Amino acid sequence: MFKRSALFLVLPLALLGVVPASAAVKASDIIQRAIDGFVRPAYAGLHEHAEALTGSMRELCVTPSQGELDAARAEFSATVYAWSSAEIIGFGPIKENNRLERMLFWPDRKSIGLKQVQAALSDKDPTATDPAQLAGKSVAMQGLGALEFVLYGDGADALAGKDDPYRCAYGAAVAGNIEAMAGEVSAAWNKPDGFAALWANPGPQNPLYRDGNEAVTELVGVFINELEMVRDVRLKGFFGGKPDADKPKQAIYWRSQNTTASLAGNLSGIDTLFQASKLGDALPADARWMAESIHIQLVNGAATAKAVSGPIDKALADPALRDKLDHFALITSSLSALIGTRLTAEFGLTAGFSSLDGD
Amino acid sequence: MATMTPSAWATTLVADAVFATAFVKRDGSFGAAVLSEAGKVLHAIDLPDRGHDVTFDPISKRSVVFARQPGTFAVVFDHSGRDAPLTIASIAGRHFFGHGVFSADGALLYATENDFDNAAGVVGVYDARAKFSRVGEFPTYGMGPHELLLLGDGRTIAVANGGIETHPDYGRAELNIATMKPSYVLIDRVTGDLIEKHELPAALHQLSIRHMDTDRSGSVWFGCQYRGPGTDRPLLVGRAARGKELQLLDMPQDVLSGFRNYIGSVAANRAAGTVAVSSPEGNSLVVIDAASGRVVANSALVEVCGVAPDGTGFMATTGAGEIVEGSGATRSEPDYVWDNHMLRIEQAA
Repeated sequence: MFKRSALFLVLPLALLGVVPASAAVKASDIIQRAIDGFVRPAYAGLHEHAEALTGSMRELCVTPSQGELDAARAEFSATVYAWSSAEIIGFGPIKENNRLERMLFWPDRKSIGLKQVQAALSDKDPTATDPAQLAGKSVAMQGLGALEFVLYGDGADALAGKDDPYRCAYGAAVAGNIEAMAGEVSAAWNKPDGFAALWANPGPQNPLYRDGNEAVTELVGVFINELEMVRDVRLKGFFGGKPDADKPKQAIYWRSQNTTASLAGNLSGIDTLFQASKLGDALPADARWMAESIHIQLVNGAATAKAVSGPIDKALADPALRDKLDHFALITSSLSALIGTRLTAEFGLTAGFSSLDGD
Repeated sequence: MATMTPSAWATTLVADAVFATAFVKRDGSFGAAVLSEAGKVLHAIDLPDRGHDVTFDPISKRSVVFARQPGTFAVVFDHSGRDAPLTIASIAGRHFFGHGVFSADGALLYATENDFDNAAGVVGVYDARAKFSRVGEFPTYGMGPHELLLLGDGRTIAVANGGIETHPDYGRAELNIATMKPSYVLIDRVTGDLIEKHELPAALHQLSIRHMDTDRSGSVWFGCQYRGPGTDRPLLVGRAARGKELQLLDMPQDVLSGFRNYIGSVAANRAAGTVAVSSPEGNSLVVIDAASGRVVANSALVEVCGVAPDGTGFMATTGAGEIVEGSGATRSEPDYVWDNHMLRIEQAA
């Protein structure tokens, strides 16, 4: 109880003199730091990259060349990396208007997106080249997965020449749509009376976070859920226990060879968020090592993912790189245990044991 | 396997009821337990992974605990530990969703399952008298079926199709949030035919119908989980009566806020004429008068999820290891993290 008090019940207990004032870390301060130090810059960064991506797509359409295609592809990869960091905040403004799915419809198990994108390309559907109209179409044909196919899928090399202007126009519209959504989400997080104010000001009248405990649980839930997502969905979706169980074409961003960069981006985002929130400062002195260990493992995990480069099917065929993917999985498991069990225990949080799972 | 002491067995004989629930132990192991009315662990079995709900056959006096989705096992056990537990494995191409129900004669066991390659819900049918061999299946006419109930006529099965597509290749990731379409269906368990299918209005297509119980009038109460923006506040509890549209229950804003868009369990106390709904996300347990639909009690309880009728109230279990009896007496089993559901089992049955 004492440890839990240090973080969440600081006001009433501090008044009672149970907790020394020096141990007081307010939940609202932790959340405000998470928002200012991570969420806002992450979505602002995504918006900047998406703007640059739209610009380079337009350049490519006006003056198609291999150089412009390479430039657009580089901007795409940068946007994917920025998104991989920002996407760990999967609640708040990104959840409105299906933006989360519109930004990235993945996994697309039945290749719905692929089929719809190919249909648009073959029918040359004019409404799909207008970002505003595109935003009202299927979620699977207006986000990063769709643009990846435009830039890297069958027929993409035509973008370097003048033979397929429709493909380029559609790609530019997808980029414009991504830019618009990133801009909306970034603006929403910056609104003084928006979602950020709700999260950072828990209280009995707050419709979403009735106390500091609920606000911090949302934050800790990001670490727990995203680590599980990175490992069980993103990594294990393509990385089997044995080579014959691999599914390289199920790997996220396999066409653009951004698979491991996105895994690294996810972990880097988690690390930046954890550092920015200074959640570790709320730990009692004898448990501060956890914060340091979490940081080291996240950095290590991101570096391990980045060390696996090139086409993912080639990486899977290389025992040394497989070992790195195994190591990456181990790091995320270790982090899940450290954060999901030990850190939450220090704070007296159960972090949604029964509820994390949608049962 | 945990052994039961003779004195514990004596307790179950004199008790009116016992309660069954799945759990996770603090050491990370999994199991299912039978609790006394006072919340004491009378008997426990080990499970290979996390369990979910338990169903009971009063004829053979055996319980079945189902793996949490996307688990592939269900374990049949008696409450004395005299017979070794029997494990049912899901067939290739299917996994369990965590819920099941016996036919009234105890001959057949029905379980909600995922035909995951086709993203279709099915009810698997198992022969309880032939070591629970799988003898067939029928569709649930929807995606992501969750809880199912055998209705009072003994022939109709009600299924809550949560509407969410999942595939074991991607763990518990939800694949169709933008297009999900939950439904409530009635199915003839003998023919597998669809009798009725009801959907919520299109604006509520992200309101996943998941848990249910029947009140004494025969109406089915259901609880939902909302997958849309957290700032929305849709109604979460509803009633279904044969031949009628689904009806969502208006609830006071403060009660609704307390659910954080997530109902984890629904249980009726037919004798008392009440229905309890729990929210482990919102740490709240709410009791509703079934006849009037009015909220009669609203209590804060950290990580509450399992609920079952007990006396004139409800017994509730939590993810923090607490067991709160219907009388309000609280017992803590700090080694246990109680899973989402609890089943009351009448000993006289």
